[in-house]
Amino acid sequence: MDQLLQYVITGLSVGMVYALIALGFVLIWKSSSVANLALGQIVLLSSWFTYSMLVQANLPPIVALPIVIIFALCLGWVIERFALRPLIAQPILSLIAVTLGIGYFIEGVITFIWPWSVDALPTLFPQEVVHIGPAVISQEYLWVIGICLAVFVLLTLFFRFHRMGVAMRATADDQMAVQACGIPVTRVFSMSWMLACVVAAIGGVLISSIGGITHGLVNTGLKAFSVVILGGLDSFVGALVAGPIIGLLETLGGGYLTPYMWGGVRDVIPFIIIIIVMVIKPFGLFGEKRIERI
Amino acid sequence: MSLPCGIRNYNYAQDMAIFRTKTHWGMLIVFLVLLFTVPPLTFNHLWLNTVNTIGITLIATLGLNILVGYCGQLSIGHAGFIAVGAYTSAILTNRFDMPFLVGLIAAGVVAGCVGIIFGLPSVRVKGFYLAITTIAAQFIIIWVINHWGLTGGFEGISVPYASIGGLVFDSDVKQFYLVMVIVLMAVFVAKNLMRTKVGRAFIAIRDNDLAAEVMGINVNYYKLLAFFIGCFFAGIAGALLAHTTYYLNAEQFSFTDSILYIGMIIIGGLGTTIGPMLGVTLVKIIQKVLLPIYMVPWLENSITSLPAGFATGLAPIVFGLIIVLFLILEPRGLAHRWNLFKAAYRLWPFSY
Repeated sequence: MDQLLQYVITGLSVGMVYALIALGFVLIWKSSSVANLALGQIVLLSSWFTYSMLVQANLPPIVALPIVIIFALCLGWVIERFALRPLIAQPILSLIAVTLGIGYFIEGVITFIWPWSVDALPTLFPQEVVHIGPAVISQEYLWVIGICLAVFVLLTLFFRFHRMGVAMRATADDQMAVQACGIPVTRVFSMSWMLACVVAAIGGVLISSIGGITHGLVNTGLKAFSVVILGGLDSFVGALVAGPIIGLLETLGGGYLTPYMWGGVRDVIPFIIIIIVMVIKPFGLFGEKRIERI
Repeated sequence: MSLPCGIRNYNYAQDMAIFRTKTHWGMLIVFLVLLFTVPPLTFNHLWLNTVNTIGITLIATLGLNILVGYCGQLSIGHAGFIAVGAYTSAILTNRFDMPFLVGLIAAGVVAGCVGIIFGLPSVRVKGFYLAITTIAAQFIIIWVINHWGLTGGFEGISVPYASIGGLVFDSDVKQFYLVMVIVLMAVFVAKNLMRTKVGRAFIAIRDNDLAAEVMGINVNYYKLLAFFIGCFFAGIAGALLAHTTYYLNAEQFSFTDSILYIGMIIIGGLGTTIGPMLGVTLVKIIQKVLLPIYMVPWLENSITSLPAGFATGLAPIVFGLIIVLFLILEPRGLAHRWNLFKAAYRLWPFSY
């Protein structure tokens, strides 16, 4: 029973991080219909950058974390401005391939600067364990869930009330109409990339503060795609709902299936879910069904 | 511009001919003779090895090109399908003592069938959804390879030399001939398949699948057929890779390799046969020779304080940049440049 509760809490917190990263994907997809496959590498890069700020430059977290945010903003701007802007209105294949190329490039940069490839972030959250009923739960999981929820609320408010947020929703709805209204669509694109990178960076810092920084974070970014697929490509609510589902399935499946299956089953569960969702309900739980007209 | 000056086609056979004039045929024969004599006689171990790798990779990318470039079904899990072929052949020849040729054919067929399984979602979805499915395929395949007893798991599996009858391909030169013969067959099949009904159906599906369906093309059948053919080529390449490296480990088939395969056909030019050849040659020469043998020592000598991850990080940086730059500056790839060059020298010295 307490084991189950532990799995649930871990699953929820991992799932919330997946949801955050997935949100980064949805942001870009909705505004500019670009599928960002470099998400995993962006997560890894921002985790390493946080490591540099916290450990190598030895800054206190209160200074380091805002720098990380600024770094993520710049990263998003640079990627959009120099790689995606020239490719506006190109076929989807080029758009996917260019993000793959960016991801590959970032991976090289990471090996270049941080060649030792595994390290731990200093602890950001209090370490004392919390007792919930019979279960003993590490406090950081609760912090992660809390921060993720806070980011969601902030983003929701941004989209609801801020001028730029409204412009982004409008762009997602109808790009031509928005352009006709005089809203600078390119700035909306660049803004959505910057926001997406920030969200992915927050996700990266949260997950690497628990599990350390490894190359596996790239796979974490890829696993976030299962959230995107299950929730629906263009749905914020979908990401928020599907994230915890994937996280729960991953930890519960990893916890209870491993004795009956080959090891490491935990890591492929999201990918198996992708295949299943693709066959049964390709547009996800909340995704908009595309009806093709000739 | 596709014909030399003064040549006209007067019937359908002439119009369809790949090698139209006697000069074409002459150049083909000279090229083939040079191909089969120069590298094995003059190249050293490093270069011959590189040429073998180029050949094997070319087979795989020809398959990927059929799938992505002609049929428009984006697959980012090609390394996974190559792994299926490699391990099929390795298991058959190592564990069950089957002859090499059986392993080779079986590798193609098994990889093709796995490709069909993971290509099934293409019946319902396309574009990004399909890309994600093939990424998932890559990870599931590698997971199975790492944990299934038959494949040797993390420790890997050793593979015997390829042999046909009494002939054992145990040296670079012998493997060169084996690889090149299969490469020629693959190029022949890939080039001509695209000139048949099947190839035209693929192109129709790529350009507009709804219109293709309305015209009476069985879209689902041809999409799955494209997956089968593409992954069949991947399987053949995998089997050759297994029998020329003698030792297989799942790390040889990483996700980054899959990205690089996509990169190669983009650099070469999607939907052409010359494209993969140019792209693979360029990328593999950079990867195998230029970077490790020339660039890295040179940079290490000229710049003293290089970070430690310099040697391993350089290749992804270079290839990532090349992919992005090609997509932005020359989305039609090297094949387009090649055509421009041909047109230019045919018209020279008059540019009209």
